[in-house]
Amino acid sequence: MRKRLGIAVLILLVALSASLAACGSGNKETANAVTGDAGGASPSASASSGTGSEAGGTDETKAEPFTVSLRHIQIGEAQKFRKAILDDVVRKTEEEIPGLKFELDGVEDQVNRFTKLPAEMAAGNPPKIFDLFGGAGDALKYAKAGRLLDVTPIIEELGIADKFLNLSQFTLDGRVYGLPIGGSTEGFFYNIPMFEKYGIKVPTTLEELEAAAETLKQNGITPFAMGSKGAWVPLMMVNTLIGRYAGPEAIDGFPAGTHAWNSPEVTAAFAKYEEWVKKGYFTKGELGLEYADMLNQFVTGKAGMMFDGSWRASVFKDPSQAGELTGQVGFFPMPPVPGGKGDQTFVNGNYSNGYGFSADLNERELTAVKAFIKNMYNEEMQLRGLLEDGVLPSMKLSGDALGKVEDPLVKQIMETMRQAGGAFSHFDSTVHSEVYKESEAQIQKLIAGRATAAEVTEALQKIQETANANP
Amino acid sequence: MKHPMRNPWIYTLFTVPTLLLYGMFFLWPMLSSAYYAFTDWNGLENYRYVGWSNFAAAFGDPDFRRAIVNNLIFIGFSIFVQIPLIVLFALLIASVRRLRGFYKTTVFVPSIVSTSVIGILWGFIYEPEVGPLNRLLALFGAGPVYWLAEPKWALPAVLIANAWQWMGFYIVLVLAAILAIPRELHEAAVVDGANGWQRALNITVPLIMPLISVVVMLSIAGGMRVVDIVLVMTKGGPVGATEVMASYMVNEAMGINPNYGFGTAIALIIFAFALLLTSLYQLTFGRRTEGGYF
Repeated sequence: MRKRLGIAVLILLVALSASLAACGSGNKETANAVTGDAGGASPSASASSGTGSEAGGTDETKAEPFTVSLRHIQIGEAQKFRKAILDDVVRKTEEEIPGLKFELDGVEDQVNRFTKLPAEMAAGNPPKIFDLFGGAGDALKYAKAGRLLDVTPIIEELGIADKFLNLSQFTLDGRVYGLPIGGSTEGFFYNIPMFEKYGIKVPTTLEELEAAAETLKQNGITPFAMGSKGAWVPLMMVNTLIGRYAGPEAIDGFPAGTHAWNSPEVTAAFAKYEEWVKKGYFTKGELGLEYADMLNQFVTGKAGMMFDGSWRASVFKDPSQAGELTGQVGFFPMPPVPGGKGDQTFVNGNYSNGYGFSADLNERELTAVKAFIKNMYNEEMQLRGLLEDGVLPSMKLSGDALGKVEDPLVKQIMETMRQAGGAFSHFDSTVHSEVYKESEAQIQKLIAGRATAAEVTEALQKIQETANANP
Repeated sequence: MKHPMRNPWIYTLFTVPTLLLYGMFFLWPMLSSAYYAFTDWNGLENYRYVGWSNFAAAFGDPDFRRAIVNNLIFIGFSIFVQIPLIVLFALLIASVRRLRGFYKTTVFVPSIVSTSVIGILWGFIYEPEVGPLNRLLALFGAGPVYWLAEPKWALPAVLIANAWQWMGFYIVLVLAAILAIPRELHEAAVVDGANGWQRALNITVPLIMPLISVVVMLSIAGGMRVVDIVLVMTKGGPVGATEVMASYMVNEAMGINPNYGFGTAIALIIFAFALLLTSLYQLTFGRRTEGGYF
């Protein structure tokens, strides 16, 4: 009888250990599958540092395959030029580092920025290299939490530390935690043939802009294409209006407490937007339309103007995307507004989208990251970005290099930037995330006619004050 | 010891692995989320114990209160619109002889299609300019309706898409119950001179009441936790018009300015609501209709 009990216990133990062993080998198998064909599992990052140096020690193990995960947002037709540049950098880096294989993971921008990456940051397992936005709500928050690799020594070693035009949105206490891939400005794209047809000249004052909008509207054309299902799209225009009415310093002034949302100037910016909404200058049913729909309305000629970022420029030289409008698009900045504060020639200028790197890297992964930075952030790739993709460089380029730009639209954008008295950033990178979140909710209320400009700015100031009080 | 399987210790040994797994993947997450609901944890930084303030903040937020109302609308729509239609369709299909299998399959198909697909499909139907619905309306001279962009239309639009997705499933359930009713009852009624409607209303419906009661229960539970169709079609917009509790939770816990502490508090509120409503139903109407059948 005792024996039976013993046997039962024995069976249980065997079963348990078997299942545990299965778990163990299961892990190993996935590790092998991930690392590729040759089968040798590389040390994973978390179990790393010690074994990492061991693996890198001898020549034989150097070629041992290992993977580095890379999250990018270059998906879809409009991003194809950027993806091609990324692919070339990936290929070149893989050739340089024996055994390296990048594992590319393309995720839609908003999903990555607001859902996936925050969750991964919380769990402590972000990809090794990932698309990252600068500013208080993104890079700086993660840097404070110790999730981002301090790239200061790397860019110093590579000698590119002083080549960047602006690293402020990635810099915390003098250390750099990410590198912008390009710069951008936001302004109006317009349909040149349509402007000619209706005898509209490129607006240089607010009255001219409003007259142009009125002319288009009289002719049954939506003046401004819009897709405000994602609230950041209308906020682009609001941001620049704030820069005009309340002055360029207002954008940094909200978190600093020197500027108030509910001041008459900022309210005037929202009020102008509200006025245009009420006059029907934006696409009907815009709250149900995505960012991509905005481009469609513009390209198909349903709308005459579109307020968007300079990154959209590449679309208009590609016949497969722009169709008849290829090469027929011009760009102008938001005109000065009457009674606006500060320098009215300032434009929005962002150096906020780029790549960040996980703080959790073993030695070999770090080598791969260094090589990636070397291959991605150099004059050649910056120039390619500018020529092929119309993305303004984030690094200083020589006059020779800049002279190669032929695309008239990109030239126009660069000229706009050159003539500007300076640049102000987008408030999404300066204010606290809770304030930005509220601004998204409020602008949609304003568009739906559920809130007035004064109510919107009042609500924002309330949240801003709470946020400023608890840093 | 003759029968080792009667020894409680053996049972314990055998159940330990399962209990461990259950504890790891169910009990521990549930308990820890109950704990996080009382903190301001954002997933990254250090968190503090904040007492009941997450719950107070939720009920103090007009957007969340509207989300609760929208959940109740979802429930009301399923009980007062969907279920009568479900019973009607089930009665119709039960009374046809030819092609019954075809009808059964056709109505069931939407419930095996992924919600994302349904959301996109209906998004196309509701498309303001080229969507078939507005084209149909245009034939009668009605101007374009911005179904998913106008706060007053968005919720009905989502309700209809959601109803379309789930009705087939319940129709098949109810149909099975109808077909299980003994033929003799109907034959006796025919002999007594009852017409089709009288038989449907006085024989079929009372006999399937227990099943309808279950369908009502499921609808309440479903209406409380509806979220996927909302996220796919409108993300809770425009201006919160289609926000339900679960989409509010997703938007607050993740996204811009994530707050997992607040999100778990919302999750607990949803749980409490679902428990309250289903038990209320069970204690009132549910008990009366179910009788001895279930």
